[in-house]
Amino acid sequence: MSQTVEPSLEDESASLDGYFSDAPLVLKPNYPPLRETFDTAVVITNLPKAPAAKVEKLSKVVGRLVSKIGALAESDSFPGFQLPVDPETGGTLGFAFVEYQSMDAAVQAVKSLHGYSLDKNHTLNAFPYERAMHLAKLEQEEFKEPKPTPFKEKPDTSKWLLDPSQRDQFVIRHANETVVNWSDGKNVPVVDYDGSREKEAGVSWCKYYVQWSPHGSYLATMVPEKGVILWGGEKYEKVSRFPAPGVDIVVFSPCENFLMTNNNNPKDPEAIKVFSIQSGEFLRAFPLFPKGFVSEDLSPQEKAQVRPPIFQWSHDDKYLARMGKDIISVYDTQTMKLLDSRSLIASGIQEFQFSPTANILAYWSPESSNSPAHVDIIELPSRNKLRQKNLFNVTKCSMVWHNEGTYLAVKVTRHTKSKKTLFNNLELFRFKEPGIPIEMLEIKDAVMALAWEPRGDRFAMIHAENPSSTKVNVSFYGMKKTVVTPAKGKKKQESTVVNELHLIETLSGKQCNCIFWSPAGQNIILASLGDSASGALEFYDLNAKALVMKEHYRSNQVLWDPSGRTVVSVVSQPIHGGHFKFSMDNGYILWNFQGKLLHQQSFETFYQFQWRPRHSLLSEEERSKVIKNLKKYEREFDRADKELALKLQLQATKAKRSLRTDFREKIFRLKELKRQQKEARIALMNGYDSDDEQNYVTKEVNIETILSSKEEVV
Amino acid sequence: PQSICCSRRKSPRQLTTQPNHTMRPILLKGHERSITAVKYNYDGDLIFTASKDHTPSMWRAESGERIGTFNGHKGTIWDLDVDRFSTRLLTASADASVNLWNCETGDILHSFTHHGPARGVAWSDGCEMFATINDPFVDHNAQISVYDAPIGADSFSDLPRLEIDLPKQSDGKVVKPTNITWLNLNEALFVTFDNGAIRLYDPFNGEELEEFFPHEKKINRVSFNRDKTLFITSSADFTAKLYDVVDLHHLKTYKTDRPVNDAVISETKDHILIGGGQDAMSVTTTSGKVGKFETRFFHLVYEEEFGSVKGHFGPINALAVDPNGLSYASGAEDGYVRLHFFDKSYLDMKDPVPEDLQEGEEESKQ
Repeated sequence: MSQTVEPSLEDESASLDGYFSDAPLVLKPNYPPLRETFDTAVVITNLPKAPAAKVEKLSKVVGRLVSKIGALAESDSFPGFQLPVDPETGGTLGFAFVEYQSMDAAVQAVKSLHGYSLDKNHTLNAFPYERAMHLAKLEQEEFKEPKPTPFKEKPDTSKWLLDPSQRDQFVIRHANETVVNWSDGKNVPVVDYDGSREKEAGVSWCKYYVQWSPHGSYLATMVPEKGVILWGGEKYEKVSRFPAPGVDIVVFSPCENFLMTNNNNPKDPEAIKVFSIQSGEFLRAFPLFPKGFVSEDLSPQEKAQVRPPIFQWSHDDKYLARMGKDIISVYDTQTMKLLDSRSLIASGIQEFQFSPTANILAYWSPESSNSPAHVDIIELPSRNKLRQKNLFNVTKCSMVWHNEGTYLAVKVTRHTKSKKTLFNNLELFRFKEPGIPIEMLEIKDAVMALAWEPRGDRFAMIHAENPSSTKVNVSFYGMKKTVVTPAKGKKKQESTVVNELHLIETLSGKQCNCIFWSPAGQNIILASLGDSASGALEFYDLNAKALVMKEHYRSNQVLWDPSGRTVVSVVSQPIHGGHFKFSMDNGYILWNFQGKLLHQQSFETFYQFQWRPRHSLLSEEERSKVIKNLKKYEREFDRADKELALKLQLQATKAKRSLRTDFREKIFRLKELKRQQKEARIALMNGYDSDDEQNYVTKEVNIETILSSKEEVV
Repeated sequence: PQSICCSRRKSPRQLTTQPNHTMRPILLKGHERSITAVKYNYDGDLIFTASKDHTPSMWRAESGERIGTFNGHKGTIWDLDVDRFSTRLLTASADASVNLWNCETGDILHSFTHHGPARGVAWSDGCEMFATINDPFVDHNAQISVYDAPIGADSFSDLPRLEIDLPKQSDGKVVKPTNITWLNLNEALFVTFDNGAIRLYDPFNGEELEEFFPHEKKINRVSFNRDKTLFITSSADFTAKLYDVVDLHHLKTYKTDRPVNDAVISETKDHILIGGGQDAMSVTTTSGKVGKFETRFFHLVYEEEFGSVKGHFGPINALAVDPNGLSYASGAEDGYVRLHFFDKSYLDMKDPVPEDLQEGEEESKQ
């Protein structure tokens, strides 16, 4: 064993004690670290120029303002900010230097102080110091007035409304074709424009979906890689372009002032974009989901199922609103900022709807711990609650406005105490009456669809005991009732209209899942649409009680033209997704409002059909004048119709006659050739002439059959 | 009493009016499987039908009564042709044989064996020869064969007088013939193919004379008018096309929304009859109502559809119209042959365009 003993660590350190020291060898004064940038400095301009007497007061105000944001770089000699003064007068020069301790505070100060209104006349500007230096260094150029861009007349987008024969238009998308057609409701549609100019240039007019604007002024075509193009005027000229990569949906505001694009990309912070149509300017972008809308507690699958809330425009384009978590965010379209800088609190909100004619919105929220479910009616911009209706045991509500804003129907799906069975009732709001009275309509059945009669006071709904049954009932209700008081002594018979909900009629045992009112009211189509449905179409005239049954197999859309003369049933397929199963049936059928088939067209791939909306250019007075003189117009129209029909018939006859003449000439030549070959043919048949009638023997045979015999005693 | 008198007078009158007016079609129920071919004879008094069951049948065109069957084949009958005088019948069968029958007795005169399923058969003008087509089978290519069958002969040679081999195309695709006919005066053999082509061959030396493509998809059937001056092709591309035989010019196109299986030219009216429907494969997935199994009537010149006759519940495979213009017969995948007699309103139907110039028509011409 070795006898040498290694020294322990303790011994070693003890021996070295006092040799090393923690203290620095060279003493340094305790300077603050040198900052080489001005990241923490901010320059504020546009402050009031205070006279010498008021400098102290101003510096107090400024000091309070800037110190609220973050800690200032204060020291004994420097308060953290400085208001330079004019050495001659002693008054401030209207700007200030501020220094913060941290860069974050400085950045925040620029953000919150820039644009801050100190008082009526002084809106502050705040810059980071470096930026201010940069601005100060800029050389001032002499201002040159920019030349206005030469005025280019925009195409007249309402010209089509002046069509002498008052036809409607529609656009169709099939294969790579986009075609705008005229439809007069009687004859075969006539092509107005089919993108021929674009075809000549070697491009396709539209490869994705198209969309008419609400007044029919523009046709928007979507180019998914790029954005949206608007077309208008007689020749469908390019009006403007809006860049929106990935665009999937385009929405116009009701008065055609704004255009909204959506690319449905939840990861894009600018998924939804708003543009001004007139100027073409980009106004604001929104993400697909408002902050906090999708709860973090959900699993990824559940998250994927949450539908983004949609933006809604108010009828007059003044407001744009979207539902968030417990709020409705209403934006003022003038500034594209939140109305009054705050959202509308609507705790638990599930759905809201703008009135189609007033700045009123309705929303509903389900039951929460201490409050029942309720439907609220809110007026904008005052945010007054016009009406509230509390509801109990609610599973779901859905709201349907009348298109004139006169009524609102809320379908309430309620559950029994056990929560096992569901039943419906309707809450009907009357907006034209003082205080907005509400009526309740109890319905035992499940209600599958409800629709108000446009320009009327009636509504129709589909209901059945079992929502999955194939046979359903369709009921019509009226909101107004005519009461006739019988003649009494001297009093004449009087009829008055009272606001009373009443059942008009129930059609039972129907096969339908959708209802479509004509825009003119009175006529309604009960349709059975969709994949597994029969495609039955029932045209019902509610006033005349006339029912016409038709069928368009596999149809998945029914669309009325804006005038209510013609209606189309469509079998279409999505552009992406290869639904080849429709390819046999793809196409559309035009019907008149009475269910008479007008025109049928099939396509191998059919994507879209859209009527061009109409916007009335007439004032209310002119309108009533027209209605007054309807008889006169009717005669004119009848005459024009007859003339047109005759003209078309003559044209068709002429065309056919020339076809027939050509064909007959051809046949004659062929016959002639045939006659020349007769000898050869007979030779082939060993001398037998097939054309010779004498080869046949005609025998006359009488056959008598006694059908019945009967004896009668006279 | 008067009322009885009236009713008595009424009833016989009703019965003696044109029986066709409300007459229902005669259903020729004789086949157990899909109908593949329906043909009238030259005189229009007999109807011959072929089916996927193995027995072609002969029917009386006037009454729909079955006269007899031709027993002997062991496979689907794809095509048949009867000679000018309705004495000898030819049938092409999937059992790789073409049989020559005596129409009157139903006896087999001769069975011509082929290298593959026989698809089509056609008598020549004069009925001394006939031509057949057969599908490719194992090592054998599709073939066109021409045989001699002199009138009055009792023994026949199994060897064809001419054989045209139809090898694979240069791109390796097999093109199958679908129909064969002789052109006027036996100048050429007219063969349609499943790639939409029509070829003409010299019937004596087998040389290919001409090839053109009226369709892009399979030509299901071709039929000629009696004069053999016009022919109409029916294709899976949903159209039927009318051509003239002399110049092979395309004259008219008749568009439908389902595959066309057969189209015929009416002899007595300027009409075209078109039959077809959703292909048999996808029939089960659709209801009969929308399969479009109707016989459609088109105007020969204006290409307009003006009427249709419903009744079948499977696609129509074969159509034939009476050369006298009194009736037509349709055979379908559902195994039925329906014999329809035209009603008075059809027979009296006039061309939509009057022969004389209409009032106002001349003015607009100026």
